[in-house]
Amino acid sequence: MESKFWNEEIETMPRKQLEQLQVERLKKTVEIAMGSKFYAPKFKELGITPESIKSVEDIRKFPFTTKNDLRATYPFGIASCSLDKVVRLHSSSGTTGNPTVILHTKKDLDEWADAMARSMYCIGLRSTDIIQNTSGYGMFTGGLGIQYAAERLGALTVPAGAGNSKRHVKFITDFGTTALHCIPSYATRLAAAFEEEGINPRETTVKTLIIGAEPHSEAQRKRIEEIWGAKAYNNFGMSEMCGPGVAIECQEQNGMHIWEDNYIVEILDPETLEPVPEGEIGELVLTTLNREAMPLFRYRTRDLTRIIPGDCPCGRTHKRLDRFQGRSDDMMIIKGVNTYPIQIEKILMQFPELASDYLITIETIGDNDEMTVEAELKEATDDFAMLQNLTKEITRRLKDEILLTPKVKLVGKGVIPQSDGKAKRVVDLRQNH
Amino acid sequence: MKTIKQISIFLENQHGKLGDILTALKNENIEIQAASVADTTEFGILRLITSDQTKAARLLSEKGNLVNINEVMAIQVESNTSAFADAIDTLTEGGVTISYLYTFHKDGKLVLIIRPASLEKAEQVAVKAGLTLIQGWE
Repeated sequence: MESKFWNEEIETMPRKQLEQLQVERLKKTVEIAMGSKFYAPKFKELGITPESIKSVEDIRKFPFTTKNDLRATYPFGIASCSLDKVVRLHSSSGTTGNPTVILHTKKDLDEWADAMARSMYCIGLRSTDIIQNTSGYGMFTGGLGIQYAAERLGALTVPAGAGNSKRHVKFITDFGTTALHCIPSYATRLAAAFEEEGINPRETTVKTLIIGAEPHSEAQRKRIEEIWGAKAYNNFGMSEMCGPGVAIECQEQNGMHIWEDNYIVEILDPETLEPVPEGEIGELVLTTLNREAMPLFRYRTRDLTRIIPGDCPCGRTHKRLDRFQGRSDDMMIIKGVNTYPIQIEKILMQFPELASDYLITIETIGDNDEMTVEAELKEATDDFAMLQNLTKEITRRLKDEILLTPKVKLVGKGVIPQSDGKAKRVVDLRQNH
Repeated sequence: MKTIKQISIFLENQHGKLGDILTALKNENIEIQAASVADTTEFGILRLITSDQTKAARLLSEKGNLVNINEVMAIQVESNTSAFADAIDTLTEGGVTISYLYTFHKDGKLVLIIRPASLEKAEQVAVKAGLTLIQGWE
């Protein structure tokens, strides 16, 4: 019988043993990072050496690393090894400052491909699958990261790349693609492209979608699964950690197993930076355990999530991250109330009259912060009263959730702007932001 | 059923939206016979009777508009207020509730486009009273 696991020993390792492995790998990583101009002086000051590490809890002695550190040391300031050993780099777009650069040795790429291949295997993909990637091939890790992993899995991999939905439709139809890697908003847009060609997406060969890189709600996942007649699995990665392949849902679809042989996971209160009680929401902070070119210690991801308590019936012992509750940076403080876009999305998704796109605009009117929520209507109606009631009902339900009354505007198709295929969710026009 | 097709287009409150719709119809030589706009400050519904409803609906839909086609009742009366009033009285007395109404002139007659709460009931009352119902012309 075929194994349920890509790497059974690692994936089902008893916790105690897994933690022992983490300690060993942390020691090794500290040794490597002694070669970093960025970390070496910090370690010296804090008395951190490989020998000083006795347990996973010792991670709390380490300094934090932030995106600003990556920007300030651009491009190679954190590197732990000489560029001679580095074979690839990936970079962010740098729209809000210096881009961030992440370096990879040959071994880093190898471990990354293996971790993402493990993730693909975990959701039931096999070498017999045909995997089509809709991510851009370039500096973005969603392109090459998925490509190498799917090839490692042994699947026929279609590097179709970003954009051009018509071409994706053609490839899926012609090649018999069984799995897609895409961001959630693109999953709905691509489905619409099929419908424009007169093809029901449910009739295609696509049976699995790997979705990620964009926060989305459970309702949105269900909708994607419904439109496609396929399973959609939430996948988590970030270029700072490698790229896709950090955590993925198993077939239970209840939380993403984060591969703890590769990372130490902490969930901290974003204000105090102390651990939150188990099961509570906080900022995800990660330490790499299996990287050479540019290990990062206690990297503040800014993603808000929690660890789902308890064991997973799938048999994997690696902790499960809950669906992200937005980013600590995305938090909007409106009239003193903390609000996350995902709260609004959750409510909008409960209305079958609405499509998946929406836009939140915050502006100062008089002395007040006012929020406008534009929600995309799915179809036209002749029933004026229904639209008025719908607007009222959405307003009421949003008010119950976020404790302030937004102005709700229904809009037609294509009104909400799209940038680079990634849906923009919040526009903050306030003077002080 | 003696009804005609009406198309309803969702209008978000956006500058130039109505002009875009009219231009699209003009370019395809689709003639508008009657138009009505219901609106709030945030959105509106444009209701149209055109020379080719199927083509108009497809065209506007392809242009990215949300378009709905539904059936409405079209009553043709003499072109004067008295005839208009009589027709409405007839429907009211017959217990018909009107959701909305708009009118236009065609071939020297007045045409009342009516969306009643129940099309079946309105039709029964109108036929019984001998009103002239226009059916499915395009």
